[in-house]
Amino acid sequence: MKGARDGTMAVLQRLAAAAMSRDLRGFVVPGADIARAAGVNLGGAGLHLSATPRHASVLVVIGPLPAGLLDAASVVYAQMPRPRAILALGTNDIAPLPVPDATGPLTQAGLEAAIVDLRRIIATGAFQLDVEDFGAPALETRTEYTCPMHPEVVQDTPGNCPKCGMTLVVREAAATSHAGHAMPEQKHKAAGQTHSQPMATSHDHAKGGHSAHDENHEHHKTHTKHDSPEAASQYTCPMHAEVVSDEPGSCPKCGMFLVPVTEAGENSGHDHKAHGKAHDKHSMENHHGGHGGHGKGGAIDGVEAHFMSMVDLTRDMPASADGLKMEWINVPFGPFFPGLPGGLRLDLTLDGDAVTTISADSVVGTRELLPESAATATAFADHLAALSPLSPVTYRLLACLALEQAAGQRVASDVARARIGAVERERIASHLGWLSGFGAQSGFGWLEKHAAALQLKLRGATASEIETLSPKISTFLARLQRTPLLTAKLKGIGQLTQSDALSGPVARAAGIARDARDDDPIYANLGFSVLTMTDGDALARLAQRSGEIAQSLDLISEAGIIAMPEPHGIGAASGTGEAAVETPRGAARLNLTLSKGRVTSVDMSSPTAAHFALVATVAEGRELGDALTGVGSLDISPWEVAS
Amino acid sequence: MTPQMIFLVFFGGAAVWFGIVVFRTRSMVRSALALLFSQTAVGVMFLLMQAEFLGVLQIMMMATEMSVMAIFMVMFMMDPGGMGAMDMTHQKRLSLWAGGIGLVAALAVIWLADWGPMGLLVPDAAEQTAQLGRELLDRSMFIFESAALMILTAMVAATMVAIHPSEGRKR
Amino acid sequence: MTVLIVLVSLAAGGYLIAVLESWVVYGRFQPARPAISALALLGREQVLARAPDRLFFEAGPVVLLVAGLLAVAVIPLAPGLIITDLATGALFLNAALAYVLVALIMAGWGPNGAYGMIGGWRFLGQFVAYAMLIVMPITAVAMRAESLSTVDIVTSQTALWNIVYQPLGFVLFVAAAMGVCWLPPLDLPTAPGDLAGGVEAEYTGARLAVLRLARMVLIMALAGATVTFYLGGWLGPWLPAWAWSAIKILIVAGLMVSAGRLIPRVREAHYLEISWKLGIPLALVNILLVGVIALVVPI
Repeated sequence: MKGARDGTMAVLQRLAAAAMSRDLRGFVVPGADIARAAGVNLGGAGLHLSATPRHASVLVVIGPLPAGLLDAASVVYAQMPRPRAILALGTNDIAPLPVPDATGPLTQAGLEAAIVDLRRIIATGAFQLDVEDFGAPALETRTEYTCPMHPEVVQDTPGNCPKCGMTLVVREAAATSHAGHAMPEQKHKAAGQTHSQPMATSHDHAKGGHSAHDENHEHHKTHTKHDSPEAASQYTCPMHAEVVSDEPGSCPKCGMFLVPVTEAGENSGHDHKAHGKAHDKHSMENHHGGHGGHGKGGAIDGVEAHFMSMVDLTRDMPASADGLKMEWINVPFGPFFPGLPGGLRLDLTLDGDAVTTISADSVVGTRELLPESAATATAFADHLAALSPLSPVTYRLLACLALEQAAGQRVASDVARARIGAVERERIASHLGWLSGFGAQSGFGWLEKHAAALQLKLRGATASEIETLSPKISTFLARLQRTPLLTAKLKGIGQLTQSDALSGPVARAAGIARDARDDDPIYANLGFSVLTMTDGDALARLAQRSGEIAQSLDLISEAGIIAMPEPHGIGAASGTGEAAVETPRGAARLNLTLSKGRVTSVDMSSPTAAHFALVATVAEGRELGDALTGVGSLDISPWEVAS
Repeated sequence: MTPQMIFLVFFGGAAVWFGIVVFRTRSMVRSALALLFSQTAVGVMFLLMQAEFLGVLQIMMMATEMSVMAIFMVMFMMDPGGMGAMDMTHQKRLSLWAGGIGLVAALAVIWLADWGPMGLLVPDAAEQTAQLGRELLDRSMFIFESAALMILTAMVAATMVAIHPSEGRKR
Repeated sequence: MTVLIVLVSLAAGGYLIAVLESWVVYGRFQPARPAISALALLGREQVLARAPDRLFFEAGPVVLLVAGLLAVAVIPLAPGLIITDLATGALFLNAALAYVLVALIMAGWGPNGAYGMIGGWRFLGQFVAYAMLIVMPITAVAMRAESLSTVDIVTSQTALWNIVYQPLGFVLFVAAAMGVCWLPPLDLPTAPGDLAGGVEAEYTGARLAVLRLARMVLIMALAGATVTFYLGGWLGPWLPAWAWSAIKILIVAGLMVSAGRLIPRVREAHYLEISWKLGIPLALVNILLVGVIALVVPI
């Protein structure tokens, strides 16, 4: 076992290893939502999920992963305490991670067999002598130097900041520019972690320290950098009023350029020209309401001349919505964050616990839409379905419709109805999966369990099985609506106006009646009409998706049969085709060119790419928990960001 | 030396030691929590001196107050973790003088004041609590009620001052 | 001797509640689960974060355990079966619970990580919400008993349990108690969906075992406090006193642990709002009502 802990299998270790094999804690990569969409019930097989890699003993890898996610997974693996094991389903090669300890096909039976193997491996191999360390490119770090007051100044060698003269502070950074930070290993208090300063000139709250060699530097006259050409009588440090020197130079405490002391200068919060009469250290004893600062700001009479009170320092700092001005820290959330869709990475700047700026990114990376330069129709449909594990059937249908339009084919109406059955079934499964994710994020255990169970049952069900499941789903939805405190949790969170919301349930919940199913005559025959809500907040989106589940159940019972979409009669046709399909997250459009039965060029637009822009609207200025609820309510799929 | 005296000396020393840690440490959160434990030691001393209600109250209140102080320090101060090498102290001479004068004044009060005869018979804790209650509602009611009202006024005023400017700016 | 009996019964009760909690969370009834989990935890390596505040990182779980044990020390399980019968027992319980806050701030600050730090400060916000609601119902209870001693509070309920006498205080106290031991839906400091484990996230191995043990002790202490103040402690017909204590404490702790997963986590702002705008006026009304009734009705 690669991830064993150093030691020998003595009695105690044997007991501990046996206990560990019985108490498996898993951390799922890329996420529990992908596992459910693939039909795998991890809890049911005895593998309970933990919220953080530190509490996990097994890294569960679901399906083949793109390179960006594997890099992030290697960071997660490095964060797990030993003994640690890897269980890979549906894939064998997970470099840069070590070889998996147990593998299996991506099915429930495969999972259960792999778990039996895993338990045996852990019980016998948890403690070994000479275990090797785990290294991966994503884990490498390099040291760099930055100025606490000017975070944009970064260099590889120690020195002084060219803008203010302060000694640069050392910090560790990832060797690759954007190595996926799976979970934050935040050292925000360590020297020099960046944090966005609202104004470059304000020195407030530049955290972090200075190289140690400066501590012993008591000598006043150090460098001969001249800041101003005027021959002022004395020079002082903008941040340390007690440092006074007759010559320009650098402050021995922080390294900043000394500035001349001017008479009756202003003391604004940002402009640190020393003001008031020049005082040396003995001025502190001047209790006779002396000549403290005369500026508008906070020098306190009789006390240190340029004492900068905190009111002054924080006066013009931008404040978050609750009015409190706190330290800003940069925190990444994701890409495997337990409350968010797997593969989504959020970079937040937090002011205390309020979000000031947020940027969302998909770590999945851009993928090629064409499996090869001239793909066959079935290969193309399969590839498009594999690209989005959260809604494969819908994308397969999209490919089929575009191909058939390019080839000038038309399918029979019963085939079309069967396809609709499949797509609507997937819509229900996707919305149930979203509900389960919402339950996980908000600690709503009942919802998480029940929605997941229903999703797994429904995913592969036939039309008649869905008929029997339908009343259970309806009672479940009714019970959900009656949950106490649900309204308090969601009302007003993630408010989107009609101009913001773009497509899918997000748009319809804001009152925009946009649905790609609207102009499809077969849907009209089945009795479809667009469902909308009015409020546009997270509660409305929950209601919208619940309503769409009920609507899809009706459509399936009308359609009566379910069959996978397959491209019909493409043969060796040529032409261009375009199609639009309503995925569970919004409308997706596909343009393709066929030449002699092979796909030569493809262009696709997916709904989620546009929803990334909504993340800022939904989260900025909000408290952290509300911001995450808002982002979760958008139901972003990081897999649908195509090249 | 009775065990009581030994423990008194120990906790008194602990209180002084934690007090020194308050300004000797670089980390502000450590400073706040050191003050907390200093006050806890004082509370334990009250317990040892058989002022049970006072001791428990001291321990309870100080835990809450110092924790809130810790968060205010994190909010407003640069480098609350003390990880930087920069010297964050200010007004050192003023502090030394104030501390020295305060110490002399406290010692003067302790040694020169007439504390009255030592009470050798201490009522038991239940009786003390009952007497304290009667005192609060009888002779000292005016003092405590006015103090409570003042604190409430201060809370309301502070909240209003804190909210008002940003209301104009944000909403 | 009494100390030993109380601690052993505490351990047994804690174990049973841990079994119940794992049943609620994972859906399976496995009586050996807490023992296996603890053994597994002890076998895992202890990871230390980069540049932690080592003192706070180590001290956090220990202070939490000490606070829980001190709170348990004033809970009476039967007449004479109490670790220390302080005259100010109810107030001492509250003082011990204040150190839960100190412990979580240390545990959040120590590892030098954003998630833990936010979890710690969130708990401070939660504390501001529940602090008054823990103390004021105790005031009303002590008014009826005319004493702060937990034993006297139990014996004052011989005629009528406080849950019937002061139902408003009971509701407020239980809500605040769930905030003290951060049980769902008030598990803001360790929210798995918001903060990926929050305060607990950076603890591994033996330290995590101590943290979890401390939390269980705290839950038992709060269940014991609820039973002492509102459900008549050891009072009851037919069965011996300790049996009644055991049954009541287990039922209350079981409900506290399992009820919360049926509602979503309460938002911090909302919790503060209802605690201060609704909870404190109700607590004052409760004190007024109890005062009036105590003067008028002779029980």
